[in-house]
Amino acid sequence: MNAWEELVARCAMRRNEKIGPLSDEAYAELVLAVRQNPADFADEPPEQALLAVARALDAYRAGGRDDDLLDDAAFEAERARRLGLLRAACRQALELDERCLDARLIDLLAGELEADPLTQGLLDLEHEFAGAPVPEGDAWEDVFYRPHLRLRAAVARTCLDAARPRMAASAAASLLDAAPEDQLGARHTYMLACARLEDEPGLGALEARFSGRESAWSHLARVLLLYKLDRLTAARRALRGFESLCEGGAYALLRPTFVELYLPDRPEAAACGFEESLMAVREAEPIIADVPEFVAWCQGHDWLVASARAFAERRDLDW
Amino acid sequence: MAHDSRRDDYLRMSLRYALSLDESDPGAAARAFATFGRRLAQDRDSLPQTDADRAFHLVARATEVLDYRLPFAGDAQVEALSAQARALLDEAISLDPSCHDAVRMRMSCETGSYEARWRFLSERAEKVRASCEAERDQLCGLLDAARRPLAASLAMRPWWRWMAEMAECALICGRNRESVRVARQLLEADPGDLSDVRFTLAYALAKLEDEKGLAELAANYPDPNGLGHPDDAWVMLAQIALAHGRWDLRTARELVERLLASYPGSAGVMVRQMEIADGRFARVRVEEYSEDEMVLALSEGVVLLQEGVERSGRGVLGAWLARTVSELRPREVEEFMRATGGEAAGTGAGAPGGEVS
Repeated sequence: MNAWEELVARCAMRRNEKIGPLSDEAYAELVLAVRQNPADFADEPPEQALLAVARALDAYRAGGRDDDLLDDAAFEAERARRLGLLRAACRQALELDERCLDARLIDLLAGELEADPLTQGLLDLEHEFAGAPVPEGDAWEDVFYRPHLRLRAAVARTCLDAARPRMAASAAASLLDAAPEDQLGARHTYMLACARLEDEPGLGALEARFSGRESAWSHLARVLLLYKLDRLTAARRALRGFESLCEGGAYALLRPTFVELYLPDRPEAAACGFEESLMAVREAEPIIADVPEFVAWCQGHDWLVASARAFAERRDLDW
Repeated sequence: MAHDSRRDDYLRMSLRYALSLDESDPGAAARAFATFGRRLAQDRDSLPQTDADRAFHLVARATEVLDYRLPFAGDAQVEALSAQARALLDEAISLDPSCHDAVRMRMSCETGSYEARWRFLSERAEKVRASCEAERDQLCGLLDAARRPLAASLAMRPWWRWMAEMAECALICGRNRESVRVARQLLEADPGDLSDVRFTLAYALAKLEDEKGLAELAANYPDPNGLGHPDDAWVMLAQIALAHGRWDLRTARELVERLLASYPGSAGVMVRQMEIADGRFARVRVEEYSEDEMVLALSEGVVLLQEGVERSGRGVLGAWLARTVSELRPREVEEFMRATGGEAAGTGAGAPGGEVS
């Protein structure tokens, strides 16, 4: 979530409503001015709350940069402290505007609840905020509606984690209906759900629809699907594709690495880059665990192990 | 239902005996059968039998060792019993290389990998079917019409057991569509479902969250208690998994109450959710609607219970089920935990495997 960009857009639109309508040129000037100093333009409670969220996210992200150097206990303690601060900041934002959905969502996600209570919390939030009508056209274009889309994406991911792949698929499908350009990557969750449900036509349709936008998720979903369908020759080819097209894919698969919570959504990452590989494997983790000999099958391919080891050496990672 | 190796052994021998008798003298045949049971028990070698019958008898003995003694054996006995069973199966295979039960059981003793078992079984399933069908046709050609159905069933059972294990292996391997396919093929071949493969099918459909498929299965299901709906632990756990999976927790909870009512005294094992070794010959025989049957259904149900990210390691449905049963039957669960030395709901990881009752 790029809170600052959304804050700028929202402040500019509010100001335009008050003093405008401005010409396109004047509006562009206004946006530049807001970007220079958004705090000066956040004069309504919703934007003031979003400003607080933006600052809290900055502080949270900045705080984690050197955590890799800590030992496990210190890492856990530091992480808990940062999450605690983030949640406190979200509550302060909610004092400015109790309808700040992003603050509610981040507070809920940072609580690290078990799957069922988290699902309950997310669905309650959806119920509470259900009044907002879905905008016409691509809902992502309406910057005021984006928090709703983020919430839906969190529902989809949580359902996948909680072994509810069909619910995950339907939440992701509703997101794709509302925001067809899929800036939030609901398709990734959807593809993994299709793999888990062994739904080949479903995965095929998504691949066709997003052809040219392949990702670590799409490659990994294909491997899992074919393996589950017991088409091992094709699965091997797909694994080869995942290995060669996703940077560090082999390493991510064979050495699953801790991936931080999405607060409130996936961090941006280059398509098929190492960050994506790590995220895709993390999100697929419950599916991989449900196919008990999948990793052993992967490990049986020498070229995959060699690729993972070479990547680890290049990046100076543990092997 | 369920396969019974000793009963199959008895039936095979009685058919063979019938084949040897002079059909033109019903009186003599009846007199001969009067002594059959005694001779089978005490002087088996005096009865007519082929190497295939001898091999199957060894399978029956190996089954008793593997499926009904080994799970209760102390550590000191395990190795000796396993070796004994392996020797029985090896002898069976040397007597009759197409003793499919012995081949299958020997293989499953050898490998701990369900993937390897699945591969072995699926690669040979068609050959086994053809072999059983040839045996059936040959046998039926020799028998009168009255005995043909039993002979046909006996001849096909090794393939049924093969397929039932295949469906179970596929389920455990996460190949749910394959599991459904194999289970349906077996149900079509044996609508009476001696193998109870519909239990495996119910779980595979629940894994695929195939509401329609499970509803169809339940609608065509035996209804022994006249309730208008099946209420065995497998179909109900599958329905609970579906309701929990679509976030219909109220229905899921109601189904748990119904399940508790069908299986009195089973609240404790529903919280503990033990994993036990699966039968090598076939699903082990337990009393219907008993606590043991619940243990069995839950053990096979780990594919449903233990899925999902959940910190205690129980899985999302497993943790929810333990919590729900503890809420519905707090005293019974507490007593069970006290008596068996376990932890309270939602925390314990369950007892070690190997227990059947």
